Amino acid sequence: MATAQRSVPPARGVLQFSIHDRLWKWLLLLPSLLMTTVLFIAPVVWTLYAAFTDLHLFRVGVETEWVGLYNFQKLLGNSSFWRTARNTVVFMLGVVPMQFLIGMVLAVCLDNVTRGLKLFRTWFLMPLMVSPVVVAFVIGRMLFQEDIGPINSLIRWLGFEGIPWLTHPNWAMFTIMVIDVWQWSSFMILMLMAGLQGVPYDLREAASIDGASFWQTFFRITLPLVLPIAATALLIRIIDAFKVVDIIMVLTGGGPGQATESVTLAIYRAGVKGGDLAFGSSQAYFLLLVMVVFGGAFLALTRRTMSQTKD
Amino acid sequence: MKVSTQRRFIRGVSYAILILWSLTLVFPMYWVLITSFKNPVDMSIKATYMPFLDFEPGLHAWRYLFVERLGWFMQPFSNSMIVAFVSSSIALVVGSMAGYALARFDFNGKNNSIVLGFMAQRMFPGALFILAFLVMFRELRLLDTKTALVIVYAAGAIPFIVWVMRDFFEGLPVEIEESALIDGANRLVVIFRIAMPLAAPGLVAVFVLSLIGAWNEYIVALTLTFRDSITIPLFMGMQVSQTGYTEWWNMSAISLVSVIPVVTAGMALEKYITSGLTFGALKG
Repeated sequence: MATAQRSVPPARGVLQFSIHDRLWKWLLLLPSLLMTTVLFIAPVVWTLYAAFTDLHLFRVGVETEWVGLYNFQKLLGNSSFWRTARNTVVFMLGVVPMQFLIGMVLAVCLDNVTRGLKLFRTWFLMPLMVSPVVVAFVIGRMLFQEDIGPINSLIRWLGFEGIPWLTHPNWAMFTIMVIDVWQWSSFMILMLMAGLQGVPYDLREAASIDGASFWQTFFRITLPLVLPIAATALLIRIIDAFKVVDIIMVLTGGGPGQATESVTLAIYRAGVKGGDLAFGSSQAYFLLLVMVVFGGAFLALTRRTMSQTKD
Repeated sequence: MKVSTQRRFIRGVSYAILILWSLTLVFPMYWVLITSFKNPVDMSIKATYMPFLDFEPGLHAWRYLFVERLGWFMQPFSNSMIVAFVSSSIALVVGSMAGYALARFDFNGKNNSIVLGFMAQRMFPGALFILAFLVMFRELRLLDTKTALVIVYAAGAIPFIVWVMRDFFEGLPVEIEESALIDGANRLVVIFRIAMPLAAPGLVAVFVLSLIGAWNEYIVALTLTFRDSITIPLFMGMQVSQTGYTEWWNMSAISLVSVIPVVTAGMALEKYITSGLTFGALKG
């Protein structure tokens, strides 16, 4: 054995900083750095540049001009853009709290059972694997189909009028929210359950022996302890909700009228379909701004709540 | 005892709610399954719910898909297969190498910042990229190619892989690698023969998650491909807007074929997937 011959094994530091390793560490990191720089930083910078020009996809060979804040002025005075911004915020405010509520209830339920736990957990993973396009088709187009879909059939059987799930502006938005809640509540369940498992069982046991009710234990002990994970899960969902586009595109195409058009769909329409790269880019940066504002406000709120519950 | 009665009650309610939610998740899947066996006549007047009881199941949608129009459907299917597997494999190798480097080497004390820099990319809306990608790949003459999608999806999966794998490698004992290095093994050998096999559970998780992500991605594919290189979600989307109102049975069969591979893989690897999905949050 080679090791036996060495009386003094080299220290860890020596090993890590030998010439070869200094080379290795960069060789290992570089491909990732390179790929993400080219495909992340470059587009982000380019889009910022485009937002201040009059770049157009179909106009080739013409000098690109610097237009300053023109695109942003155009944006702020554009009522159809504000409509899409409103839709996106409404969508986010509709789905995220609902997913959190469902996620919390289901996570607590999972925490209370032992038999069949693995089965439920595995099955709850299913919606996360299914393509949003398929979910939009199956739920939106088939279950909520207005004439012979099972949901309207049930409503009619109960003696009510069928509901215009996709043809009425408000109902269309509702249907899209239902689809997103169906698909992404599972994410909340998994996250919150992972959080609950981190809460020592003894703590809750002790509380219930001391005579605390189920609700007292939940609100006083369990909830504050899962709060950090809940905050992360909520933030991820808020960000994702702002990006919504695929289910809308497949289901309503933004309609009826503009009732369900999201900002991302508007950007796709303006930039990719319409070729107006400059206007699309300014919208994309506006979306980023909205996300930063909401994300920042949310983080500030959770930080305050957490510092309060610590007392 | 009072406590145990209360606990039994809570358990009962818990099971009721869990079963209710399970059924909510089952129903759309049940519906798409039975619809793929329906005939046009079963959907012309009213909804039908139970095969054999209120409609006679037929195989015509499946025959349509696998016999009459196989080529039509196989092209996007194989595009999706190729794009998902190639991009995830590239991302896995490249990303886990970086994860290893960030776990084992010191980058002037900036390791955490580098990892955060990777993760910050997840926050940005895809809308910020698609226009730049469109121009970029147009200049490279790569529009409507699988290569373009492979590049974008691989780059998109890397940050998450770096994030998860860095922690995974940090959790592995460093002594094994050290003794191999002392024995004169090359660093590359140490990485691929010792560290990677030990990190297999983490690698499986991130690989399958990248695979699912690439398989289901929609908006980038919509921007960059339009005919020869369309993927399954795109193909589905086109069919829904063109024929979705009339040919439910065919659409249902296509949905099932496109969903079953990933759902089966994901559910079989439930343990790894759950840990991969919840990983970042648990650490924070």
